[in-house]
Amino acid sequence: MNYKPDEATLVAYHFGELEGEELKKVEAYLQEHPAERKRSEEWRQVRSVMAGLADKEVIAPPLIVGNNERPIWREHYFRMTLGIAASFLVLLVAARLLGLSASISNQELRISFGAPTALEQVLDKAGVTQMIQASLEENNASMQTAWDSRNQKLEASIQKNLAGNSSRINSLVKEASAGQQEQVRQFVGQMQTENLKLMRDYLQLSTTGQKEYLEGLLSDFSRYVQDQRKQDMQYFQANLVNMKENTDQFKKDTEEILTSLMASNRGSRTDNQKSY
Amino acid sequence: MHAENLIARAREGDSLAQGKLMHAWYKRIYNYGFKFFYDHDMAMEVAQKTFIAMHRNIGGLQDTSRFRSWLYTIAVNFCREELRKKKSAASVSLEDQRPGTRNSMAWQESNHRGDNPERLLRQSELSDLLQGCLKQLSEEQREVVIMKEYEGLKFREIAEALSISENTVKSRMYYGLEALKRMLERKNITKEAIGYEL
Repeated sequence: MNYKPDEATLVAYHFGELEGEELKKVEAYLQEHPAERKRSEEWRQVRSVMAGLADKEVIAPPLIVGNNERPIWREHYFRMTLGIAASFLVLLVAARLLGLSASISNQELRISFGAPTALEQVLDKAGVTQMIQASLEENNASMQTAWDSRNQKLEASIQKNLAGNSSRINSLVKEASAGQQEQVRQFVGQMQTENLKLMRDYLQLSTTGQKEYLEGLLSDFSRYVQDQRKQDMQYFQANLVNMKENTDQFKKDTEEILTSLMASNRGSRTDNQKSY
Repeated sequence: MHAENLIARAREGDSLAQGKLMHAWYKRIYNYGFKFFYDHDMAMEVAQKTFIAMHRNIGGLQDTSRFRSWLYTIAVNFCREELRKKKSAASVSLEDQRPGTRNSMAWQESNHRGDNPERLLRQSELSDLLQGCLKQLSEEQREVVIMKEYEGLKFREIAEALSISENTVKSRMYYGLEALKRMLERKNITKEAIGYEL
């Protein structure tokens, strides 16, 4: 079981503030860990000793609080209403002193300090349209002028930049091209050198290998020829010995035949002589 | 402990309900302060300030079920304030603040008149010893140990009162208990020894 309760869980268990699955897990853990069980018992002892610190008896002093029934002028809503009314009054007085007047006539709201003055000139619809038209035309003309001037400046600036930049770009391209050619040349040269070296190494390795292979082949062939010769010689010797033995045997057999023939001849001659 | 409607009435400004609340909780808050400081005057100061603050601010208490942790929050804050003042001011000997000495307000404390004087003396000595152990705890551990052990708050309520997480409260309790265990072992105070003495 890998479960190990932390400090907080152990304390909660000890004070009986653990429940459900967690409680069961801690109980099982304590069953398996006597040291933790001992700690819990020690805490119980500590708490039982500390319980000896009894409460002090104390008499609460009387609670003296102010009268809650406040007069109406101390109530919040009354003071707020009074404040609003006072502000309004101040505004009215100020308006009176400044001669502020407001009037509504002919769908017009007029607010003025002092007596209102009549408008000297009233613009009609055609006049307003004319004013707007004139203003628009003036605005268009000024915008066109500004636009043309800006275009010219922009054109000149582009031409200048193009002229200045094209030579710079050419020189940069040339430099880059020269640089690239040089780099390509160096790269090719380097590649050739490396290839040559690689080929040399390969050929050297290849020659050495072939030489070793041929030497091995020759020595193997020489060994084979020697072995073959040796075997042939042994075979030849064996055949000679065999032939010699056969010859000897033939001689022996011949001698025996001759001897027997001679003996039979001698016997027949004796018989003949006897018959005679 | 309290009828919800008592707190609700107190919240609406009913001074009678506020008085009842104060009478019900004064002893607890005083004892919290006393165990925290081991000083009668400071405990009284904290208790009085706590209930003045309660009177002023109870109207803003949203959830009446959280009255207990709310009240201890006020008490804790005043305890910390007093502790700061105490640290900045010249220290006062605890001996002068003991019950029965010249500065103690004996009339405000229990005299246990019917008890055996020898037993009372031993009880007083034991209280001194245990109070000394509490005093040696760090301020944070002391707050948690007193609230849990003597005030019987749940870990959740302590966490609310101190505005910290429940796990932090439990962790402080763990180390507080371990520290008390070591102190009691050093002083050779066991349950058996206390039982024999008393």
